[in-house]
Amino acid sequence: MESPPRFLHDVAVWLRQHPEIGAFVGLLIVFVGFSLTATRFLTSDSLASILTVAAELGIVSAGITFLMISGEFDLSVGSVLGVAAMVFALTAKAGWPLFLGWIFALLASAGIGFLNGFITVRTGIPSFITTLGTMMFWRGILLAVTGGFPVSYFPSRTPTMFFVLNGCFAGQFRTSALWFLGIIFLLNVILVRTRYGNAVYATGGNRDAARVLGVATDKVKLVNFIISALLAGLAGCIQFARFLSVDPMRGQGLELEAIAAAVIGGTLLTGGAGNLIGTLFGVLLVGMVRSGLVQAGAPAYWYQAFVGVIVVVAVVVNTNLRRWALK
Amino acid sequence: MKKVLLLALLLSLVSSVFAAEYTFYIVSHGGPGDPFWGVVMKGMQDAADLLSKGTGDTIKATYLGPAVYSVTELVNMLNSAIAARPQGIVCTITDPAALDEPLRRAISLGIPVIAINVPDPRPAGERIPYLFYVGGDEYLSGIKAAEKMLAVKKPARAVVFIHEVGHAGLELRAKGFIEVMTAAGIPAEKLAIGTAPTQAVDIIRGYFAKHPETDAIFTLGPIGTLPTVTFLKEQGLAGKVMLGCFDLDEVTLKAIKDGIALFTVTQQQYLQGYLPIVWLYLYNKYGFLPANDILTGPGFVDGSNIEKVEQLIKQGYW
Repeated sequence: MESPPRFLHDVAVWLRQHPEIGAFVGLLIVFVGFSLTATRFLTSDSLASILTVAAELGIVSAGITFLMISGEFDLSVGSVLGVAAMVFALTAKAGWPLFLGWIFALLASAGIGFLNGFITVRTGIPSFITTLGTMMFWRGILLAVTGGFPVSYFPSRTPTMFFVLNGCFAGQFRTSALWFLGIIFLLNVILVRTRYGNAVYATGGNRDAARVLGVATDKVKLVNFIISALLAGLAGCIQFARFLSVDPMRGQGLELEAIAAAVIGGTLLTGGAGNLIGTLFGVLLVGMVRSGLVQAGAPAYWYQAFVGVIVVVAVVVNTNLRRWALK
Repeated sequence: MKKVLLLALLLSLVSSVFAAEYTFYIVSHGGPGDPFWGVVMKGMQDAADLLSKGTGDTIKATYLGPAVYSVTELVNMLNSAIAARPQGIVCTITDPAALDEPLRRAISLGIPVIAINVPDPRPAGERIPYLFYVGGDEYLSGIKAAEKMLAVKKPARAVVFIHEVGHAGLELRAKGFIEVMTAAGIPAEKLAIGTAPTQAVDIIRGYFAKHPETDAIFTLGPIGTLPTVTFLKEQGLAGKVMLGCFDLDEVTLKAIKDGIALFTVTQQQYLQGYLPIVWLYLYNKYGFLPANDILTGPGFVDGSNIEKVEQLIKQGYW
């Protein structure tokens, strides 16, 4: 039998190394679609708007991607976002220096991540269950502490700390977008260029093989749980820096959107495959759909329906591409 | 010393013969830890204290509410209140189906029942035959909010930001508002903005890009008010667009003080604790009943009373 043409083989190899290509193509299609239907879509304001919506989701999704590649799951990110924002708000209200309150909020988030990881690794129960439990637990704590009421903080003028976290620059662009892009690229470098990154892939791909190779899989997972919670907490602080108020339901439902974005970007639910560039495309796709639909004048509830379709189509396409590339 | 004590004992015995004792219960779906219901509890206690002091009768009022929302708990608490055979029960009709049997049983036992906060939505013949309802009216709140805006200025376009589509109370507020605006010949509609603030601002911005003439906004609670105020401030529209809000929180209060929001609608829930106790006493003692339900809302907080209300919030009245 004749072997397949050389160039097809090259494409297959390239595809194997770039699972994010599906999300990129989707992004292009949606971009062209909205450019034709929504009149104000191709403006810098519109781009700023997409980035602003994508930034907070993207920071959370970046952490989730890392964790998912190592074969675990985190449903508690929405609650962690709420807890971090609440801690930041309460410490600011109590008169703490903002920087200190911010560090404290991040430490609290990291602590929750450690707890998620510790329970999962120690007891061997699925992280879906661990984090489902902690998601409900921390939401309950938020409601109990606040009695259901929002907590607000009104400084006389915008502090530098808030500008650094989520200030406005160059028109409608916000610093949250810089945090987002910075985190994506930093994590991606760690993932594809360092030994730790290899360990993450190995942990999620084949745990037994990883252990034989000397990868401390439990430790890798624990660290990734902490990264996931830490980034969710950072997103919470970034959101608070703009709105100066946080209600106890903040972040609810975010976990599924963050997982959806990672999955659209080619990260496998089962672990072992994926990267941050895919998540970047996935998050931008979600942000673009949100902004584009609003600008095209569609009622806001269409957004959920649309994202639902995109998730399924993206995963079907990604799975088929992967199968073909591995042949 | 002994004589004084004896005299005091005698006096209290005599007075207890002439003075009556009344026991009332408020059974609510809201936990006592919730600040909203804390205000209701204060109203209840103030009424009981005032009546006890002023009449020489002893009025005992007790608040029962599950710490976490639970209809089963609510019914259990209601049953223990009925078992105490009090002179009156005040209840929120959060779940008419679950509360139907116990409340009808209480009424057939001769216990006067008053509904607060949430009425039985069924028509007169089918609803639980409580004496009357004390609370807010969502639909009327929307109507009054629209009228209050129209009294200031006729807007070019009005929009209601709804953060929880399908929530019956919010939908009624929106309906009342839109009906009045539409009747005044103003294009008015609902916009679903969701509960996530960053996305909400984006949705609002999209709406304003499409309808830049919009100059009247009605938000249905603090979750919708926050992104709206942020949007108006960031886009330099504060004060140029009329904003009406719902409920009291720090962001809403500040927006009124800063001149960003025109007013906020409240249901003055202090009265939902205070008035039923007063009426139960009047009914037990003299047989008085009001002719209608008593509406405690819509009440308004705006530039004219904000300073006072802020002080009173700290004292637990609002």
